[in-house]
Amino acid sequence: MRAEDLSELAGRAEAEIAAAPDEAALDALRVRYAGRREGEITKAMKRLPALPAGERPAFGAAANAARERIEAALERRTAALRDAALQRDLAAAAVDLTLPPRRVRIGRYHPITRTIREISRIFAGMGFEAVEGPEVEWDYYAFEALNIPADHPARDKFSTLWVQAEGSMEVALAATGAGRARAATGQPDRILLRPHTSPMQIRVMEQRRPPVRVIVPGRCFRFEATDPTHESVFFQYEGLAIDEQLTMADLKGVLYSFARQLFGGERKVRFRPDYFPFTEPSAEIAFDCFACDGTGVTNEGKCRTCAGSAWIEAAGCGMVHPDALRRVGYDPSKYQGFAFGGGVERLAMLLTGTVDIRLFHQNDLRYLESV
Amino acid sequence: MPISWLREYVETAVPPDEVAERLHMAGTEVDHIERTGAWGDKVHVGRIEALEKHPNADKLQLATVGYGDGRRKTVVTGAFNISVGDVVPYAETGAEIVDGHTGERTVLRPRPMRGIVSEGMVLSAKELGLGDDHEGILLLDKALRVGAPLRDVLGETIVQFEIAPNRPDALSVLGIAREASAILAAPLRQPALEPLTYRLDPALLSVRIEDPDACPRFAAAYLTDVAIGESPAWMQQRLRAAGMRPIDAVVDITNYVMLELGQPLHAYDAERLRGRALVARLARHNETLRTLDGVDRILRPSDLLIADEERPLGLAGIMGGEDSEIRATTTTVALECASFEPRRVRRTTEAHALHGSSGSAAARRFGLDLSPDLVPIALARAVHLLREHTGARVVGATDVYPRPRQVPNVRLRFSDIGRVLGADVGREEAVDALRRLGFAHAELGDQLVVTPPAIRTDIAIPEDIVEEVARIVGYDRIPVRVPTGVLPLHERHPLEQLRERARDALVGFGLQETISYALIDPAWLERLTPDGSPIAPEPLPLANPTSAAQSILRPTLRASLLDTASRNVKHRRGVAIFEIDPVYLARRGDLPEERWTIGILVAGQAEPVRENETWLTAERDWDWHDILGLARGLADALGLGQFDDQTRRPAAGLHPARSYGIEHRGRVAFTIGQLDPRVAAMWELPQTTYLAEIDLASLLDVQRPPQAVTPPRFPAAWRDLAFVVDEAVAWAGVMHEIEAAGQKAGLEQVALRDVYRGPQAGEGKKSFAVRLTFRSATGTLSDADVDKAIARIEGRLRHRFGAAVRAP
Ligand SMILES: [Zn+2]
Repeated sequence: MRAEDLSELAGRAEAEIAAAPDEAALDALRVRYAGRREGEITKAMKRLPALPAGERPAFGAAANAARERIEAALERRTAALRDAALQRDLAAAAVDLTLPPRRVRIGRYHPITRTIREISRIFAGMGFEAVEGPEVEWDYYAFEALNIPADHPARDKFSTLWVQAEGSMEVALAATGAGRARAATGQPDRILLRPHTSPMQIRVMEQRRPPVRVIVPGRCFRFEATDPTHESVFFQYEGLAIDEQLTMADLKGVLYSFARQLFGGERKVRFRPDYFPFTEPSAEIAFDCFACDGTGVTNEGKCRTCAGSAWIEAAGCGMVHPDALRRVGYDPSKYQGFAFGGGVERLAMLLTGTVDIRLFHQNDLRYLESV
Repeated sequence: MPISWLREYVETAVPPDEVAERLHMAGTEVDHIERTGAWGDKVHVGRIEALEKHPNADKLQLATVGYGDGRRKTVVTGAFNISVGDVVPYAETGAEIVDGHTGERTVLRPRPMRGIVSEGMVLSAKELGLGDDHEGILLLDKALRVGAPLRDVLGETIVQFEIAPNRPDALSVLGIAREASAILAAPLRQPALEPLTYRLDPALLSVRIEDPDACPRFAAAYLTDVAIGESPAWMQQRLRAAGMRPIDAVVDITNYVMLELGQPLHAYDAERLRGRALVARLARHNETLRTLDGVDRILRPSDLLIADEERPLGLAGIMGGEDSEIRATTTTVALECASFEPRRVRRTTEAHALHGSSGSAAARRFGLDLSPDLVPIALARAVHLLREHTGARVVGATDVYPRPRQVPNVRLRFSDIGRVLGADVGREEAVDALRRLGFAHAELGDQLVVTPPAIRTDIAIPEDIVEEVARIVGYDRIPVRVPTGVLPLHERHPLEQLRERARDALVGFGLQETISYALIDPAWLERLTPDGSPIAPEPLPLANPTSAAQSILRPTLRASLLDTASRNVKHRRGVAIFEIDPVYLARRGDLPEERWTIGILVAGQAEPVRENETWLTAERDWDWHDILGLARGLADALGLGQFDDQTRRPAAGLHPARSYGIEHRGRVAFTIGQLDPRVAAMWELPQTTYLAEIDLASLLDVQRPPQAVTPPRFPAAWRDLAFVVDEAVAWAGVMHEIEAAGQKAGLEQVALRDVYRGPQAGEGKKSFAVRLTFRSATGTLSDADVDKAIARIEGRLRHRFGAAVRAP
């Protein structure tokens, strides 16, 4: 055997190895060609001493080269077979990718909760602290302290639900520290379900000194027949800011910023004179409609969000009346500020496309899971 | 209010819609705008030129209608209220009209009636969309130009205003005109007034005020030769447009002046006044009055009356009595024009339930702070109209006004305008705005002294003046500015924080949040236990509920949760909901406690999450372990420890063997369990209904600050253990003993792996299998250490429970 024969041997082995169908065949070829005892290369090397001394180095080198070629071929084929096996396994693990998943249970917040949180978050960014107060309230805080004494015509706007007190309709206003001025008179007062969140203006001012900036979300009640736009139980948010130099321009700015953050985009705000006994001057604030960008029309015709008016009336507001300031011991010549109040449901309806206010309290899960 | 009426007092070329818009933007709220007369070109003013019998029908006649330029058509009509010379609405074929029977809009088509084709139609008010009157043809003013398109002569823009209660001065056509004149800077025209001489022979009529607080001003006129008849057509039309029924010339004129000037008046048949006097006085004890609506009323001593010398004539400013009313035979009229204290009017109106009555238009105005200065103006206006339209002769008038009201002078600085508005309004501009509003003013350097017109009873303080200026220059002038200044320090709100974290946790567990009515049906509370006994304290009832279904403040969330679940299981197999809201608990002589409560309810099917999708998850219902897991998960999420008192007490309304309540500070703070199956049946709920109720405030007491754990350095060792105990032995006791026995050896966790009942445990027995985790903080535990601990635990279990330890 000569060195050339070894090269030929390696070539033959490479071909057979490359064609080996599986690991077993490959093992057999490994033994046959690269086996330490009986392999062809080993056998060839055993003949080395018999060769003439001059040929030995070349033969030895050729044998080594052949071994390396064979081993490399074995390695290649091993890797290829493993890779093929892996590919087969992976292919066998195929699933129908379109089958439904193992579902997770999704909890959702009530849209009122989400809207109140959003309101509180936006106003918190402007330095307003979220505070809450009683839903069942004294006449004093709900009306009297807000310049709406008994028999005042403005009471007609608040169709009030009254709590039936034991025995008589009237019970004494507790001298709990709050409503001190009123309690000191010793006169009995009536208990009602607050028809607005504005009583908290008085409660907050009684408890704090300026500067004051609060936002008060909460439940309110009215004697009201329910229909798609009216509810007897509903939520409002009330804002109050008192400082030395706050003006209606600041009020406009705060509500403008609120509208932009809530509805997005370059919103416009519009003030219109309005009347509330506890603010002077008073205004109603409207935002230009976010659905039609203040045009009143969409691709489908008249805008349904603003009923084509291009404006969304959102809240009543104004400068806190000097009488209210005086009543809580603030000096109106030193302090002034603004208050605003709006309906939570109204915003939630706009944000979710809810068309019937009664859905909020009906708790039909098919509705709640959709918003 | 028809815009054409407004235009009588304010001269402007501004189109009606813009007038309405500008009034709206300046504070006179426009509720809505109606338009009458959207008739096309085919409806004209026509004149009846001839009438003849229909040859084939008795109930029809043929009318020849001329409508200008010699055009003439013959129509068939069933109406007989027309005569030759009448001016009527005529519609050509193809005109759009309202069908008199169906009320639908329809296009007029030629249609033969008993053999004769009508060439168009003469129309009733209803067919024109002007009301419900379909009795006869609408007769128009004969002065109208025949042939003119009807929309040009009858078309009208009617604006419905919503006047704020502080602006009774604007509750009239002239009041709105005054606003419009200021806003549009257009001149204001005053209506024609009768120059009255305030002299009157008391033998004819005298006026007396007994209580000047209740009636600050009382004027009257005495008129003779009054011819009672119909008021002019234009006046009737305006009354109708305002929703008032024309009655006779005298009553119509008092109503007309009320609409025009805002001041109600009342006319009496002077012959029927006993003692020839009109007296404003409070009712006497047990006095009665039959009011115009035919109701006999027992008067309250606080009711203000108008009376003669012998008897009450009417409730002042609210409703007259039957006796002294104007009749067809009346010729002498005493005309009352007075001013009443508004609160008393409101109380009387309410006490006698006279809201929405025929007198409510007057009562509504007198219930507001109407200026006494309107009294002589309205009287003079009414007398003028009476003289013009009833031939009345004015004998004299009287005006009693013992304590004339002072008009305030409001002092402010020009700088106050900027101080309040934050807007730059020039001095000239401010003064011009006040002038346009009819406010008198004087300038003293930077000071401004403003005197509003007497009718503006709402103006009292500098801020009122600022608002007036702002209204006229426009609220758009107020810039948008971000407030500056010191931000207040904020407080902590632990309860609210905990509440919101609880909401987050429960939503995280996959529960749907609900918010239900805080007002509920008291009957619900009787359906919370099998025998109807209460689970909560006596609820607070409302004095004036809207309905029985919302007549109490709820003292528990449970009924609301059951109701919500019950309504939802009608269309789904399972619900998982929670609500966090206050319950209301009465306190003597104080506002009720509003106790924030967490209510959780799961019922029916728990899995699979999507109904019927069972290919991965078998169907199963919610169970006791689920509700316990939700409560425990909430405690873990909020970082809660245990209540001091761990005694498990019975929970009313829940399954007696699968529920308990825990008390904290003497009140139930936590209730959990399966709903009593009998209660579940009452609410049509599945038997597998579970709920938990937690008093939020009590959780504040057991809330722990987070304790940071450094991950352990040394490995843990595990051992499995199984042992048989009597069925009656509760797990908590077993676990407690294991923990106590293993504590020293570094027992870190006891995990329950199985509870087995069956032949291998034996009758009346059960087997617990647990995996115990040991770990030392100072080194790796040896097998020997752990073996020793296990032996001690086994010994303790044998000793305490007679447990038989099995090979794991
Ligand atoms: Zn829109």
